[in-house]
Amino acid sequence: MTLGALAADDVARRMAGQGLALRLPPMTVRVRSPLASLAAQVHALYADAEVADASAYADIEVRMLPVRGTRAGGAQVQFVIDGATPFDAFPVAHALPMFEWGLNWVFTHRMNDHLMLHAAVVERDGRAVVMPAWPGSGKSTLSASLMCRGWRLLSDEFGIVSLATMRLRPFVRPVGLKNASIGVMRAYAPDAFIGPTFEGTRKGDVAHLRPSADSVARGADAAEAAAIVFVDFRAGEPVEVQPLGPATTFLKLAGNAFNYEVVGEPGFRAVNALTRRSVACILRYGELADAHAAIDTLLAQGPRA
Amino acid sequence: MTDGSDDEATGAESALRWRIPAGQRLVFEDFDDGIVMFDALVGSTHLVSVTAAETLAIIEATPGLTAGAIYRELLDRIEATEAALPFASIRELLWQLENLNLVAAAAA
Repeated sequence: MTLGALAADDVARRMAGQGLALRLPPMTVRVRSPLASLAAQVHALYADAEVADASAYADIEVRMLPVRGTRAGGAQVQFVIDGATPFDAFPVAHALPMFEWGLNWVFTHRMNDHLMLHAAVVERDGRAVVMPAWPGSGKSTLSASLMCRGWRLLSDEFGIVSLATMRLRPFVRPVGLKNASIGVMRAYAPDAFIGPTFEGTRKGDVAHLRPSADSVARGADAAEAAAIVFVDFRAGEPVEVQPLGPATTFLKLAGNAFNYEVVGEPGFRAVNALTRRSVACILRYGELADAHAAIDTLLAQGPRA
Repeated sequence: MTDGSDDEATGAESALRWRIPAGQRLVFEDFDDGIVMFDALVGSTHLVSVTAAETLAIIEATPGLTAGAIYRELLDRIEATEAALPFASIRELLWQLENLNLVAAAAA
């Protein structure tokens, strides 16, 4: 059963009680919170996610608990993971962004049996495009726009490389849009569901775009890398594609990973596998349509010889 | 004919024997635009030149060579002339590699 099939008050009741367990491959996450507004937002953004039994084992147990405000500004919320509170409290109105960021943080700390790239990943016709980039470079916006054109979204945040198969594993979650990209995506995909805009968070204004039902439904299907695109958004500038040699790609990719040093030699081998099977470039773009065309052209080149 | 290696090295330095440090393991991946090397002891990755990669390969294959012997083997392997690759540059390279703990020098 998907979360969207449950009534909103049922979702709120589960979250306030035993917890709402969601299958978000490769993990199951149970979230508990008495916050009705958070329950409504989770219900909308994770509508296509599978709901696990209340008694199911969860890899991650999260509580989003209201706490007494310690600063001016009213009630606050605390992200609690396995009884620990790794972050300062947020204003209660920012509970959803905190939940999303907290989940990302937990995920990066628990996936050291994989190489974790800071990258968006999309796939079409069995060929995945890895877009490594740091925050603000446009990878979430680009991956969201590609998803709205029919690509499958694996993640807008994590390139998860299996050290056993060297394939990319999905972690399909709402796409985090920040600042100007919120308006860009509302205009680009008016039919897509984008939740409320949270203004003035620690990362600026933030909103979340619901992943496509197809992306969620295929959340356990790994994909083969075909292209590595280092994204660099430059407002108003023309598109520019700078091909990268494999050794350069290797070093840039290794430098992008969250846990390259932690994983050690298997990480070296994973980066090598991705590099050898992918074409690679730096893509500077100012318009989404130009970036889409550049990626189509890149994929048409086929895999590296 | 001399390659000048013995003349240019100081007496003490020319007697040093070069090895890969105990516990060290180097993994190389050769690409069109460079060679990437993984230092398994530290977990770091380096972009290395052909000269550096071949020097490391020589030391790994034959531990205990002097700098002069490494130099002669290297010239042979990469088919370089002494003019193109002076001995002084290899001495400098060896100490750079030693700084990274990729090789170690010891008196015979």
